[in-house]
Amino acid sequence: MKEGFRQAMAWLHTWAGLIFGWLLFAIFLTGTLAYFKDEISHWMQPEIPARSVSSEASLTLAQNYLQQHAAGASRWLIDLPDAREPGLSVRWQQSPAKRGERGQFTEKLLDPQTGAEVQGRETTGGEFFYRFHFQLQMPYPWGRWLSTIAAMVMFVALISGIITHKKIFKDFFTFRPRKGQRSWLDGHNAVGVLVLPFHLMITYSSLVIFMSMVMPASILASYNCDVRAFFDEVFPASSTPELAGKPAQLAPLAPLLERAREQWSGGRVGRLTVNHPGDAHASVVLVRDGADRVVHDFGSAVTFNGVTGHLLATTPEQSLPRAIAGSFYGLHMGHFAGPVLRWLYFICGLAGTAMIGTGLVVWLGKRQLKHAKSGVMPFELRLVEVLNIAGMSGLMVAVAAFFWANRLLPVDVAGRADWEVNSFFIVWGLSVLHAMARRGRAAWVEQLALAALLFGAVPVLNALTTPYHLGITLVQGDWAMAGFDLTCLGSGLFFAWAAWKMQRSGTAEAVIRQRAQPITPEREVN
Amino acid sequence: MLLALLLCYGGFTALCLSMDRHHAELLGCKPSARRRRGMKLGGWGLLALSLWAAVSSTGWGLGLVEWFAVLMLSALLLVLLMPYRPRLALSLAGVSLLISPVAAFAQY
Repeated sequence: MKEGFRQAMAWLHTWAGLIFGWLLFAIFLTGTLAYFKDEISHWMQPEIPARSVSSEASLTLAQNYLQQHAAGASRWLIDLPDAREPGLSVRWQQSPAKRGERGQFTEKLLDPQTGAEVQGRETTGGEFFYRFHFQLQMPYPWGRWLSTIAAMVMFVALISGIITHKKIFKDFFTFRPRKGQRSWLDGHNAVGVLVLPFHLMITYSSLVIFMSMVMPASILASYNCDVRAFFDEVFPASSTPELAGKPAQLAPLAPLLERAREQWSGGRVGRLTVNHPGDAHASVVLVRDGADRVVHDFGSAVTFNGVTGHLLATTPEQSLPRAIAGSFYGLHMGHFAGPVLRWLYFICGLAGTAMIGTGLVVWLGKRQLKHAKSGVMPFELRLVEVLNIAGMSGLMVAVAAFFWANRLLPVDVAGRADWEVNSFFIVWGLSVLHAMARRGRAAWVEQLALAALLFGAVPVLNALTTPYHLGITLVQGDWAMAGFDLTCLGSGLFFAWAAWKMQRSGTAEAVIRQRAQPITPEREVN
Repeated sequence: MLLALLLCYGGFTALCLSMDRHHAELLGCKPSARRRRGMKLGGWGLLALSLWAAVSSTGWGLGLVEWFAVLMLSALLLVLLMPYRPRLALSLAGVSLLISPVAAFAQY
């Protein structure tokens, strides 16, 4: 009975893992990249300078700018720069022409030191990886549904994998390289077991984040099928005072930052909203930046009167269920992570990606052995092989192509941001064709070598197309920019090593096969 | 976080040495029963100590997250280092235990 159960779980692990493996690989890789989405965006918009300026100084600049350019707007939104996102973003909304309509938004980026407008090149930046990670570049509900189903399958694969893996503690420290199929399975088990807390956390929390979509039954039951009523109660709309119609001078905003900090015992302000600036009933909402706590609080804010500076309202303390949901959200996003912890998140994400990748390789390797002698693969194995190559090495090449497109496309071309994304998908599609045209190992070696070349040359490309090369960024201490270049160089070296390894094991296999050939007829004679 | 990392790495190495197979691989002989028990106790003790080190420096919320992160990283490092550079893996454990008092001194 027990063996039967374990076998059933092994079957489930094998097939659930295979069917969703490629999708999960892409989700994990892009999600891992999304941990550095601000740094990636910074690299992809090198025109926006990184400066360390106090929030007060940049807020004063933003207020001056808005008073000059958007005095008549109905709402101002100011996103303060932080250590990771250097841009000071200001947006304003015009009063709508008709009641009930949404007014038009204008967005500008300012240099937080001088207050001058900065024109960054048009790009989706790191946001692309973040969005793709859960929307999969599909129209609204479908991408989310598919990625949530993938998360559910991932959870099933994790649990069934733990049950299938008999000797978790005995093999805890075991990794035997250079043993072919054995090493792949060892590697799969090692990254699976050693990084298991991360895998469980990230998979379970992704289900918690989309819980109202995945398990709406409790909401539907208690709110009589009115999901909107639930959300209205959970996220109450901020009540802004009505327009007074009398003009009044807006008080300086910078001192409010300190008062908000006192309210939150040191918590930073991330965004400010000024309603009806220049009116006697102006109000200022300061929203807390979640980066200083693990437990994420959705919309913790304080509201001040914009003219007198009186405290108008504060959001209530988080209730326990919201704190639990918020802690899963916070753990998944890792907004709170400093540089070291962020790198650890990144490494854990790579380990998860590696676990999925090695699992796919093991699946194919096990079944390929049977057909090794004849050299002819049945269609379904060839299909898995092509998808493995395009889904893993092809995706890496596509990521590199996305970065290359950012530097090579002319700055003023129309629809530039879309073309960056298009080049990602075009290159990914080409990698499928390439994997179909070439034999398995040759396709692996060529795509890995191409990825090595593209990633390894990113620092050179950056030096040739922008003035922000490693010699300057390292001296200036712009670690996001320099770190991006160095990480690309490191990945390039890794892919070169992988391609070389793949090439060498290929020739070794061929030699063994040649040596083995004369023996087979003898056996037949015997 | 450094102290927690050093203690975790030392703890995992001790736990690894408490297993016959790995002890033979790394040191060339089977451990005695007493040594095995000592390694096991020491390993778990060091892991517990590292949890305390992480939590006491940054509080329960962030401390637990950091502890899990260094726990996974140190185990991964040890397992990937052992087959390629076994001596380095062992000496790293020795060094990390030796400098952990310095790290503790720096932390408090």
